[in-house]
Amino acid sequence: MPERELARTAEPRKVSKATEPLPRDILTPDDYRELLDQLYLARYFDVRLTKEKKRGRLRGTLYSSHNQEAILVGSLYALRSTDWISPIHRDMPAFFLKDIKNGWDSKDRLGMSIEEVCSQVWGRVDSPGRARDNWSHIGSKKKRIIHSTSMLAGTIPVAAGVVYADRLDGGDNVVVTYNGEGSTAQGAFHEGVNFAAVHKLPVVTVIENNQWAFGTPAHLGCPTEDVADRAKGYGIPGLVADGQDVLDVFDKVSEAVEYARSGKGPSIVECKTFRSYGHGDHDDDRAVKYRPQDEVEVGRSRDPIAEMKKVMIAEGLLTQKEADKHPAEYKGAGEVTDHDFPERVVEFLSRGVDFALKSPLPDASEARRWVFKEEDQ
Amino acid sequence: MSTAVERKTKNYLTGLKEAMYEEMESNPDLICMGEDIGLLGGAFGVTDGMQAKYGAERVIDMPISESAIVGAACGMALNGKTVMAEMQFIDFISCGFDQIVNMVATYCYRTAGEVPIPMVIRGPAGGYGGGALYHSQMNEAWFCNSPGLKVVCPSTPSDAKGLLKAALRDPNPVVFYEIKELYRKRSIEEELLDGDDALIPLGKARVGREGTDLTLVSYGNPYHLSLSAAKKLEEFGFSAEVIDLRTLVPLDEETITESLSRTNRLLVVNEAPMTCGFAGEVLARLSQAAFEHLDAPPARVTRTDTPVPWATPLESDVLPSVDDIVEAALKLCRY
Repeated sequence: MPERELARTAEPRKVSKATEPLPRDILTPDDYRELLDQLYLARYFDVRLTKEKKRGRLRGTLYSSHNQEAILVGSLYALRSTDWISPIHRDMPAFFLKDIKNGWDSKDRLGMSIEEVCSQVWGRVDSPGRARDNWSHIGSKKKRIIHSTSMLAGTIPVAAGVVYADRLDGGDNVVVTYNGEGSTAQGAFHEGVNFAAVHKLPVVTVIENNQWAFGTPAHLGCPTEDVADRAKGYGIPGLVADGQDVLDVFDKVSEAVEYARSGKGPSIVECKTFRSYGHGDHDDDRAVKYRPQDEVEVGRSRDPIAEMKKVMIAEGLLTQKEADKHPAEYKGAGEVTDHDFPERVVEFLSRGVDFALKSPLPDASEARRWVFKEEDQ
Repeated sequence: MSTAVERKTKNYLTGLKEAMYEEMESNPDLICMGEDIGLLGGAFGVTDGMQAKYGAERVIDMPISESAIVGAACGMALNGKTVMAEMQFIDFISCGFDQIVNMVATYCYRTAGEVPIPMVIRGPAGGYGGGALYHSQMNEAWFCNSPGLKVVCPSTPSDAKGLLKAALRDPNPVVFYEIKELYRKRSIEEELLDGDDALIPLGKARVGREGTDLTLVSYGNPYHLSLSAAKKLEEFGFSAEVIDLRTLVPLDEETITESLSRTNRLLVVNEAPMTCGFAGEVLARLSQAAFEHLDAPPARVTRTDTPVPWATPLESDVLPSVDDIVEAALKLCRY
């Protein structure tokens, strides 16, 4: 058996050197504030849903993205509206974070509204797929979000096909696919990345290395220290980012996106992070047993909200007093309250929840429809 | 100067080829992808010359990666293209199974119709050629049992052309079984129509031979065995009607029911293994739909529940033969 080592998320041993000038150099103080708010929003979504689930108001499984928010926020901030993404089960906030920088409530942004996402979570008819598949499998062709299945890494070949078609039509859009480190052992991962590399397709594969694939530690799924090293076999860049640092994620993904858009081909960006809780909410109690407590403490010790606040204080963009006003960091769903979050964040999500609760359940007569395309569509 | 006279009749493979060329010409958004289909022109030559004519971007030589072939085809299809994805042998489709049944087949359903996937997954299928375990399969039941896929299997050159053209125009994913033993078979050659005139709609069976005493329902190579069996049955004084299903999903129950209302006996023949095979599905559906018409217990002739072995006597033993069909038909007729 391979030797067991504790996760090293707290301080990744190695992070790729970003190319100067840093992509973050174009960010304004307003961008920094926006990024912090988006981190709050992703966290609030997670804790609010955890509470709703515990209150018995939700069906299905919540795959918490707690402690991994910087990966979604930082990577999505590096994209254009017309770029594509393919999130998976732990990436629920990605559906509404996509293109949110063009206005949280902008009607024409190419990302999902909070009303649509909440309708999906509550299994209501106003979900983009009329609640036909579970929580995390939504998507939208219009919004350029590829739908996932439960078969991990399965979206990578699909994503490659999407941008192949785009390139044939003269486009230069990029696709960012999300996967965990566990998915990189799947055949579809290899086949998809290999095909993308052969054709130099603009596919950026973000690997959220949260150290645990359900109950299996990373070293039993990947023989190398860095999952990014898999890139070597395809002759493509493999970058390692600090997944707790939204700016580092932004830098590395921006670099990969620029590389892809300029026609040079795909890359892998591994973001080191740590899964705060169980695989899903059904696994929280067991995860406490199969993961050593000291590892969990280390893994949670660099909350992405706290890390961003530190940077902003150091850069003079935030006072300590302002930072303390909304102390959501380092708190689980059981400890946190709405007062720990900016009002803007609470208001935004609450609107989605209220909408979803009023949206009707789909009528049973829909269950047998759309196996095949219907004439009127 | 060539003195060769162009034959008016064309084979099954030419039917497929003409369908693809015509559709590539009329649909600039049609993409073909598969292993060795470009430079080589396909293991059997079905896509011969196509890459030279339409370019390597539209006729893509893919790595040996069935998941990537089907998955990338799905991505292209969701982004405005129509895709023909070739499996070099239909046996290899198992390597792309997840992408077909979980990604492609369900896309329209789980998006409430927002994202239909117009693609055809086609490839050479069937036994009787000494292909052994991994070049002889008829695995259509896997896909008939996966909602969201249409499943097609032509038995004649004009059906090969017409059904492939229709499949390439269908907004839904179609798994298309080509019978490789029929590709160049001279005895089934026929004249082919061009363009829209060649189209054969999906979901319509064909009565290939009229008869009065029993109905043989089949598709693919066993359709031709059934025709031969029908001739032999004449010697015994029985007149067999032979139906070629052409499309398995959706199944044309109406044509079979109509036939049974006249013949009152049903024998289904296919070359897939018996258990949970499509022959069983036809029996179950028609036993219910046409129960009132039946004068004998409906029966089937299928491959045995074994893999397809290589050596000639072994292969012949497990696959249905004309004699097997005659024997089963006589039992039914004399019931």
